[in-house]
Amino acid sequence: MNLPLSDPLLLAQDIPETLIANLRCPGTAVCMRFSHKGDLLASGTAKGSIVVFDLETNGVARRLPGHTAGRTVQSLSWERSGRYLLSSSVDWKVILWDLNDGSRVRTVNLGAPVYIAELHPQNYLWCVAALYEYRPVLADLTSTSVKQFGLPNLPKRAPHEQEGAEKADAKHFATVAAFTPCGTHVITGTTKGWLSIISTVTHETVYSIRLCNKPILLIRLSRSGRDLLVNASDTIIRTIKLPDLTNPNLHADSIKLDVEHKFQDVVNRLSWNHVAFSSNADYVMASTLMNHDIYIWERVHGSLVKILEGPREELGAVEWHPTRPIVAATGVESGRIHIWSINTPQRWSALAPDFAEVEENIEYIEQEDEFDIHPIEELQKRRLDQEDEEVDVLTVDDEQLEREGGVGKTSEFRMPVLLDMGGESDSEDELIAMGAGQYRRKSTAHEDTDFEDGPSGYESHGTNGTTGTKRRRA
Amino acid sequence: MSITSTPHDSPKRKRLDSEISHGRDYDSEAERAKLDYAYDEDSPSDVENSFHTPKEERDDASIKRRRVDRPTRLNYVLHMTLRGHKRGVAAAKFSPDGRWIASCSADSTIKIWNAQTGALVHTLEGHLAGISTITWSPDSKVLASGSDDKNIRLWDTTTGRCFPTPLKGHHNYVYSLAFSPKGNMIVSGSYDEAVFLWDVRTAHLMRSLPAHSDPVSGVDFVRDGTLIASCSSDGLIRIWDTGTGQCLKTLVHEDNAPVTSVRFSPNGKFILAATLDSTVRLWNYVEGRVVKTYQGHKNQGFSISSSFGTYTADTSPDEEDDNSDPPPKWAFVACGSEDGKTVLWDLNSKEILQTIDSHEGVVLGVDVGMDDQTMITCGVDKTVKVWKRQAMVSESTEQSRQQSPRVNNDDA
Repeated sequence: MNLPLSDPLLLAQDIPETLIANLRCPGTAVCMRFSHKGDLLASGTAKGSIVVFDLETNGVARRLPGHTAGRTVQSLSWERSGRYLLSSSVDWKVILWDLNDGSRVRTVNLGAPVYIAELHPQNYLWCVAALYEYRPVLADLTSTSVKQFGLPNLPKRAPHEQEGAEKADAKHFATVAAFTPCGTHVITGTTKGWLSIISTVTHETVYSIRLCNKPILLIRLSRSGRDLLVNASDTIIRTIKLPDLTNPNLHADSIKLDVEHKFQDVVNRLSWNHVAFSSNADYVMASTLMNHDIYIWERVHGSLVKILEGPREELGAVEWHPTRPIVAATGVESGRIHIWSINTPQRWSALAPDFAEVEENIEYIEQEDEFDIHPIEELQKRRLDQEDEEVDVLTVDDEQLEREGGVGKTSEFRMPVLLDMGGESDSEDELIAMGAGQYRRKSTAHEDTDFEDGPSGYESHGTNGTTGTKRRRA
Repeated sequence: MSITSTPHDSPKRKRLDSEISHGRDYDSEAERAKLDYAYDEDSPSDVENSFHTPKEERDDASIKRRRVDRPTRLNYVLHMTLRGHKRGVAAAKFSPDGRWIASCSADSTIKIWNAQTGALVHTLEGHLAGISTITWSPDSKVLASGSDDKNIRLWDTTTGRCFPTPLKGHHNYVYSLAFSPKGNMIVSGSYDEAVFLWDVRTAHLMRSLPAHSDPVSGVDFVRDGTLIASCSSDGLIRIWDTGTGQCLKTLVHEDNAPVTSVRFSPNGKFILAATLDSTVRLWNYVEGRVVKTYQGHKNQGFSISSSFGTYTADTSPDEEDDNSDPPPKWAFVACGSEDGKTVLWDLNSKEILQTIDSHEGVVLGVDVGMDDQTMITCGVDKTVKVWKRQAMVSESTEQSRQQSPRVNNDDA
């Protein structure tokens, strides 16, 4: 509801520009995802814990302990309503969480370390996962006895290409898998640079194309499902236009994928850690290996439009907020999550209603009746008489309801607010052994006060019963 | 709104007394108009009649036939008096689920009452000084209270226990509080002239807004939580962006009277503000102008809160069709007065719908239930009173009840 009062210039801005916050989190964040509504951010750490942040408060909203401690969380995937979250880890497990109470709906052991796991966009009880040196798996989590379906690793080749293929297909595995937005197909990338489109119905490869000779690191689809973003280890980011895969008349032979843009740094030969589309896929961004910046390109001409700077560390995963110009990135060294957004300066005219901000001097023209003197009572009466318009204080605009996500949905999921998140002792990865029976907290005091602008950060630590004794050497 | 704009010469119209009277009103004869006013009090029974009438009998398709006339009077009568506080009660609030009533008092306790029976459920003790303000979390499980001991405390209302970490940070009395619609944030206003925004989960201060130059007497969140309104004795109402902490708008009336309460309208497009010049104003905050001014009560020295409420035409439950559209609702504004009255105005016409003699001394708080039927008031006389809406009872109503069967017979 702040839109009518916001500066239209700021609303028109669609690329973030300044670092606005750091999220304090226990452990080292390595992956993260915004919820579809954009009010929550889930992050997984290198030590196997998962934390859900509330982006309004920039505080921890829920902790989800469940993956084997010490094993990196590899990926996170939100269900549309924001109630369920899928996480995967190198501990071979994929866990489906219910955020209503923080319980685990399903825990599935896939038999190999997981590269990436993603929920079906329509049905949260289906997921696809790419596994380390194994075939990708489509899993049906509907019942407690989970059904797994293997998907092909190898690309679909034309008959004349079959020759010598066996040799080429040694050690050829899928490294990444992603659903198309309608869930009819899975797109996979392999260690040898192949891209395959696999039907989720027949579990067969419909189409394959070789993009490069190096492994494909990440595949992302835009929300429309018509744009594909591929990061490969040959230091080139590709965007590819996809055909409408939902069209039942689409023939497999007619599919042809063309690379739309190739983004690379030809001067420094930078490689890219992680890539993401902006909310409407107008922009592509990437974090860089051994470098502190996030690069943002626009897709019309394929030109570089912005380099986001800020923290003095290399950045790992990057994510673009689903609706607003907000970018989040994990710091590789600190493990913190940095957040960029647009700069909103205080408009001084908002503080003093009698003043207006003008670009140039304006000559003041006095109105005819401006200094006429009327009796106060008459003015008062006239003013009250003018208040004859019909005022509706009850009806909410459809547009506003839409924005609040309430149209037609009577039971919209809202995660319960847990109190005393600050008093709860953080998980084991925050305590570091210092010697016999001695521990110290990994997060030091200055880290804790990062987001604070008041003294309360200090106080809540005082109330945290265990820290007083364990922190003496910190 | 009470004037039906249908031509009165239709023979079918004669069935309904009220419509006849409105038809006369249409003639704009002063005498008749006076008579109408008396008839208007009959509206409950008239409405019952109109509900009985089959739709197809109604003429004039251009106007929605299910039209129900807006009552020009409300009749809230005393239902319960909740006694127990030892000093004046500063605020009383319904829980969002309507099951509980919470009241806070200068005796530094909060009491939670069963809204149905009036039984005392919990007395929450822990504050070291008087409590000026309370607010319910949207799930009705947590109550936040702001006290003159400078702390804000959160209470589990099912157990009556206090959460161990109070929200500490204000340098002076906490004067006003509001929960965000998601329940993840609390905004507070204080005598230290600042507005603080708190993370409820961690009990940490998130943001401090350099808001005013006098105590902040009222704060509120808009329905989607993106805006905060604050008001102060310095006469200003400020609108803040929750996400950035920037002030987006300042509203000031030329008289600059101290503002004592601020409330967003249910749809979030307007702001209701009470000021110490015995006036309540409705602001269009986007355009920054007053759209309605309500007067008739007395408020010159006390921080009295105002409230929105809704009302429907009086209908007894058995009259309502199951398949009908929801009945039309109108909004009213309620505010306490320093002469012990509570005044209800119709939002649009600014007419006083009811003046209730509610407390001895100042009425400090008023809250209207979500069911359109109940209201609570509290005052310096240490009591909380629950009011229930009843159909207008008057001689003319009795009369019309007797008449109505006859009217229906005419029809048949």
